[in-house]
Amino acid sequence: MIEQKREKTLAPEVDFSSAREMARFLTEPEAMYVGAPGKHGYLRLGFELDKDGKSILRDLDRRHPLIVQQELYFDEEMPEMPCVYILSSGGPNVDGDRYRQDITVKKDAFAFVSTGAATKLAEMKYNYSGLVQNIVLEDNAYLEFMPEPVIPCRHTRFISDTRLRVAESATAFYSEIFMPGRKYYKDGELFQYDILSVCSHCERLDGRQLFREKFVIDPAICNPRELGVMGNFDVFSNVIVVTPKDKSDEIYARTEAFIDRAKGIAAGITRLPNDAGLLYKVLGMEPGPVKKLVRAFCSTVREVVKGHPVPEEFPWR
Amino acid sequence: MDEHSKMIAVMRLLQFTDSTFPVGTFSFSNGLETAAFENIVTDAASLEAFAASQSRQAAFSDGVAALLTHRAFLGADYDTCRHMDRFLIMFKMNAEARLMIQRMGKKLAELAVRLFDSDMIAHWLDEIKSGDTPGTYPVAQGMVFAAAGIHEKELFCSHQYGIINMVLSAALRCVRVSHYDTQLILERLSSEIPALYQEASRMKPEDMNAFFPQLDILASLHEKGNMRMFMN
Repeated sequence: MIEQKREKTLAPEVDFSSAREMARFLTEPEAMYVGAPGKHGYLRLGFELDKDGKSILRDLDRRHPLIVQQELYFDEEMPEMPCVYILSSGGPNVDGDRYRQDITVKKDAFAFVSTGAATKLAEMKYNYSGLVQNIVLEDNAYLEFMPEPVIPCRHTRFISDTRLRVAESATAFYSEIFMPGRKYYKDGELFQYDILSVCSHCERLDGRQLFREKFVIDPAICNPRELGVMGNFDVFSNVIVVTPKDKSDEIYARTEAFIDRAKGIAAGITRLPNDAGLLYKVLGMEPGPVKKLVRAFCSTVREVVKGHPVPEEFPWR
Repeated sequence: MDEHSKMIAVMRLLQFTDSTFPVGTFSFSNGLETAAFENIVTDAASLEAFAASQSRQAAFSDGVAALLTHRAFLGADYDTCRHMDRFLIMFKMNAEARLMIQRMGKKLAELAVRLFDSDMIAHWLDEIKSGDTPGTYPVAQGMVFAAAGIHEKELFCSHQYGIINMVLSAALRCVRVSHYDTQLILERLSSEIPALYQEASRMKPEDMNAFFPQLDILASLHEKGNMRMFMN
């Protein structure tokens, strides 16, 4: 029986009211108030090696609607890898929802984290939905964070802030996929959301800042269909890989940048500032091919860092 | 500012904005070469859309850094100038773009120490040379324009003009467009600048943002590719 720490803490405050782009969306919802029980999810996952050297989910704390039950070891190429699916019992993110997810991978440990289904962002009228993430990787730790796509519905407002703290020897694979909306709902709901604001920033454990990426998509101000933004593409994926320089050189050399107009898919890779690692971007028409490319890229990362590929995705995913 | 100083400031603005000002703007295409090769930019209309995206991308990142540095320089606040320099490099996700703004930033700083008697710029150049600060072009522009007595609105215009003109000049060499086309595009994109300034001038460093994945992918292709007329 694996012993798990289950220390309860208060769900920490998630407040983006100082974010300039959200200033228009600070009205208290008429339904459940901001941060009400069930609207303030919290998740704390701590992976570490046990005394036998097995990587386990040692620390777990959660507040609904976020649910994580336990780690599973279903990865056929790395059966020693604890795999966790984050679930939400609340359906889509609604007006005034706040979430916080803290993931720590301790020295030499490794883990795979995904979500059970796409994250739907419902239509909002008064406020916004916010997510704060803290991801910490100690020496030689390894994390694959590869959630299912985010689907922003009409008039949704979403902001996230992800702080990655990564040791020099550790590797973090952090991916996000954004749908343009409910593409096949009614006549197609493409880029009809109010705002998506996504910030990811990274530092060393001693606080040395490495990079900061922030994108704000406000279709009313800048049309995502413009050439240079999304162009004709519908689906966008952003993948951050923080890894030591020798590893990032090899991954960079093995990864192709291309535009395939016939298949409607394109990918690009570049080096992050301060030799922090790599940034991979994919544009596509449908989530399937984009997810496949992100997974193939993750496989390259895993081969270079851990010496194993990523197995084929389950047919039902 | 009296009439005499105003006229000198205009002359300096023209000097620093001129495409022959030796900071090397002519050698970069900002991914246009790849966009032309991939048949994404093929004519005046697609060139205008491409240049508009470049202008907007620069406004809310480099443009914000230039404005905040300009204000810090006027307040003799060197630490903030230096902070903006580091902050901007952290925000530049594209490796070629980092290389470009650092090459141009150092060239401008080297010129500026000859043109102005400014301890702050001289100290900054020393720090660039010793590798203590990245030496980015927008930060150099902020310092130099402040030292030259040019207002921040003109700095922003000059900065945006530089970005648009860099793309349009490159277009004359790799896209089927005429000088008439590029001048019309420049004229139309100029009318967007006041609105971009309104927004950029209210931003703090943490508000800087950019969402241009198609430009990022083109830049990546250029970085990885072999086909090159311009510098990488």
